[in-house]
Amino acid sequence: MDEFQEILQDFLVESFELVEKLDEDLVELEANPEDLELLNGIFRVAHTVKGASSFLNFDVLTHLTHHMEDVLNKARHGDLIIDANIMDVILESIDLMKELLVTIRDTSADAGVDVVECVLKLDKISGGDGNVEIPISVAPVVVEEISAQEELDYDNMSDEDVEAEIERLLAERQTQDKAKRAAKIAAGESVPEAPPEPSEADEKPKEVAPKAPTPVPTASLRAKAEDAKAAAPTSRTPAAVEQTIRVDVKRLDHLMNLIGELVLAKNRLIKINDDVEERYEGEEFLEELNQVVSIVSLVTTDLQIAVMKTRMLPIGKVFNKFPRMIRDLTRELNKKMELELAGEDTELDKSIVEEIGDPLVHIIRNSCDHGIEMPAVRLAAGKSETGTITLKAYNEGNAIVIQIDDDGKGLDAEMLKAKSIEKGIITEKEADLMSDKEAFALIFAPGFSTAAAVTSVSGRGVGMDVVKTNIEKLNGIIDIESALGKGTSLKLKIPLTLAIIQALLVGVQEEHYAIPLASVLETVRISKDEIFSVENRSVLRLRDEVLSLVHIGDIFEVERILDSSEHVYVVVLGLGSSKIGLIVDSLVGQEEIVIKSMGAYLAGIEGIAGATIRGDGGVTLIVDVAALMHMAKGVKATALVDEGSSTTKEKTKASDYTVMIVDDSKTDRMIMRKSLEPLGVTLVEASDGQEALAILKQGDHHFDAMLVDIEMPRMDGYSLATEIKKYNRYKNLPLIAVTSRTGKSDRMRGVESGMVEYITKPYSADYLSSVVQRNVNFKSEFLS
Amino acid sequence: MSDKLKEIINKQKKKDSLSISHLDEVVQLVGFIIGEEEYAVPILTIQEIIKPISWTRVPQTPAYILGVFNLRGSVIPLIDLRVKFGLKAKKHNEETRFFVLKQGNEVAGFVIDRLTMALRLKKGDIGAAPDSVAGDDSKIDGVGKQDGRILTILKVKKLLERDF
Repeated sequence: MDEFQEILQDFLVESFELVEKLDEDLVELEANPEDLELLNGIFRVAHTVKGASSFLNFDVLTHLTHHMEDVLNKARHGDLIIDANIMDVILESIDLMKELLVTIRDTSADAGVDVVECVLKLDKISGGDGNVEIPISVAPVVVEEISAQEELDYDNMSDEDVEAEIERLLAERQTQDKAKRAAKIAAGESVPEAPPEPSEADEKPKEVAPKAPTPVPTASLRAKAEDAKAAAPTSRTPAAVEQTIRVDVKRLDHLMNLIGELVLAKNRLIKINDDVEERYEGEEFLEELNQVVSIVSLVTTDLQIAVMKTRMLPIGKVFNKFPRMIRDLTRELNKKMELELAGEDTELDKSIVEEIGDPLVHIIRNSCDHGIEMPAVRLAAGKSETGTITLKAYNEGNAIVIQIDDDGKGLDAEMLKAKSIEKGIITEKEADLMSDKEAFALIFAPGFSTAAAVTSVSGRGVGMDVVKTNIEKLNGIIDIESALGKGTSLKLKIPLTLAIIQALLVGVQEEHYAIPLASVLETVRISKDEIFSVENRSVLRLRDEVLSLVHIGDIFEVERILDSSEHVYVVVLGLGSSKIGLIVDSLVGQEEIVIKSMGAYLAGIEGIAGATIRGDGGVTLIVDVAALMHMAKGVKATALVDEGSSTTKEKTKASDYTVMIVDDSKTDRMIMRKSLEPLGVTLVEASDGQEALAILKQGDHHFDAMLVDIEMPRMDGYSLATEIKKYNRYKNLPLIAVTSRTGKSDRMRGVESGMVEYITKPYSADYLSSVVQRNVNFKSEFLS
Repeated sequence: MSDKLKEIINKQKKKDSLSISHLDEVVQLVGFIIGEEEYAVPILTIQEIIKPISWTRVPQTPAYILGVFNLRGSVIPLIDLRVKFGLKAKKHNEETRFFVLKQGNEVAGFVIDRLTMALRLKKGDIGAAPDSVAGDDSKIDGVGKQDGRILTILKVKKLLERDF
């Protein structure tokens, strides 16, 4: 049973690959019906599938492929010229074949698909009388086979057993060939249409079959076969070099996850290295550590790229189905169209290749249906009768661009606006403010359809909406350009991979958020005066565009406690076809991040795509740009400047003054306490910078001054001062450094980080007391 | 697999479940304090107990969800049981702990005020939850008694269920 399953799996994988290639070949064949190489290739596919399916007892599939094979065989021998009508039938049969394969994959049986009608058509073409028996048993099929062969080669009519044996051998042989070819295709190498070895196989039936009645022609045929054999080795060599191996995608996914963890660890290592460097400046071991860190980081990056490459597939896999689609549409719509492909070798992550297919189908259908005009209209407009659609893929930085151009009638911005107003998608006011480009983007709005009549091809108003959603899911950007009467150009810009992404880290108050860099168009620093308010929404005039703004704090409910300066940063986000400006407090930098899920408990939080672990071990949330844009619509602008400055209470007694002592040495804290206690002020102690910061944040006390030691574990005095100065309410808190560091540079650093006084140890109690009194404006009447 | 074999396995399973429900069976629990009350969860649902570490706030969530934290490379939600049980939030102190509970694939950290002890309770000493709070929606699995103390035994599965 297991063995059968294994064979079945191989059969399915192989067949699907073959069929995929088939579509493209067939369309090409229609253009060049004389191309024998192509015909041979297609014939072999039908044949291989037939051979394997009969071995696996899929009678319906065998029956169908057998008749396909008949027709193709005739064409191959020149008895039949393939015209559009015949091609329709062949294509129909291939569709059925696909359907059967899918059924087999799902149910392990080929029942449930009706092939009778198609088989009848095929039979008619191949010259039969249309008397085809309904399959199920193998017997009538064999009879058919003979009767079909009869017409083309009387010699072959001989021995049934010989025929069957040949079939079997041939099928086996073909399977091997195809496997090799498939392996090559998988390796990304372009495979010549018909490598010599199959042609050798083709000769075989003729070589063996005629033996019975007339042994005479065998010699000449053998010679031919030998020719083919002689030619074979040259083309075989590359196949031997290009060794491939089929790997379960799950294993690759697992590998990718592990690499993700490694990247995080690397980020962390780099961060720690930086910290150590700062702390032990000039130490010798630093250089060694540096070297190790850079090697680890370099190798990790290489490893990541290498693993990413193993997951890459050429986009040609998706492009392959389009020639066939265009061909079908040409007949259906009675238009003349051509498809040009370029850059099929461009590679993309497997998961993206899988997602990109549907959007492209919709876009191309749309171009065919709405873009390209009827031949008569085109001629009247002075264009060539045949419309051209170009599908092109290329790399651009860390992204891949898929560009779909057509030379059709182009988009009419005014018409789009009028239509949108009519459908209630936009208001007239909005329409007036819209640029042409924004108007073009309307085609992606849900419920929008420009076709006057709904056809089976498009116009139901769902297609382009789906495109937008799918591309957004991939963090992609859509760009439309169009010239009326000249054509339309759509550009899809999609990041190369989804698992490990480059992100822009932004800060808002004390929080950090990661924004996928693929969605960031630019960042600008603006003064607050440049922000205007229109209908309760903030907007910014950026060059010649009006950009609507939203504060990240309004979206993520961030409390405003820190000082907001005169300037803010605006991150211009682009996704799909829309744009928005996100106001943030600071730009932290660019970092490679790995998306981690937050588990089912926190899944689906609006605006958050996931979380990542940063170099310092903390968790940073990743912004879901699509959701953020949606949320931005409902957010009202809030005033950027917080006027509510904390009012200090009138001091009525000495203990109303609160001073914090920050020192890691208990003795030092005691000395300071002893010096200040006579004043009667309230004293709070902290043993290092982080503790001090935590006490400040709790807000239990209102501090009037802080005595800060410089040399402390976890967070030193300088960093503490810098941190404190970020807070709005502590901006004017006097920080007094109390330290044994006496160097001039230490003093300078103290000033830079915002210290107002610098007391060097040892000091007298009176001196300390007087400095504190001065800085807290101690009222003399409290002095006892 | 033959039907007979299945039958035998089923029988064995039944036996197992019978023996578990036996009254002398001992349950191991870990007790902890939230507010004034003592609660307990089965020891096997606890992945680990850690001292408070820093966490990241997650927007658009109820107040009892403090955010997420990094537990050796996994991002795990952090829930304040005080707030969840309707008490006022309290500053974390020396005795505060994060309980990391796990059931199936669901993992979450819970902030508790103080650990008490690991304890063994006989099944017989565990009473059903009071009628007023019993039922499928209840977070209470039962009430345990030991040395005059009363412990509320919580349903970990319910705690780990998202309810917003």
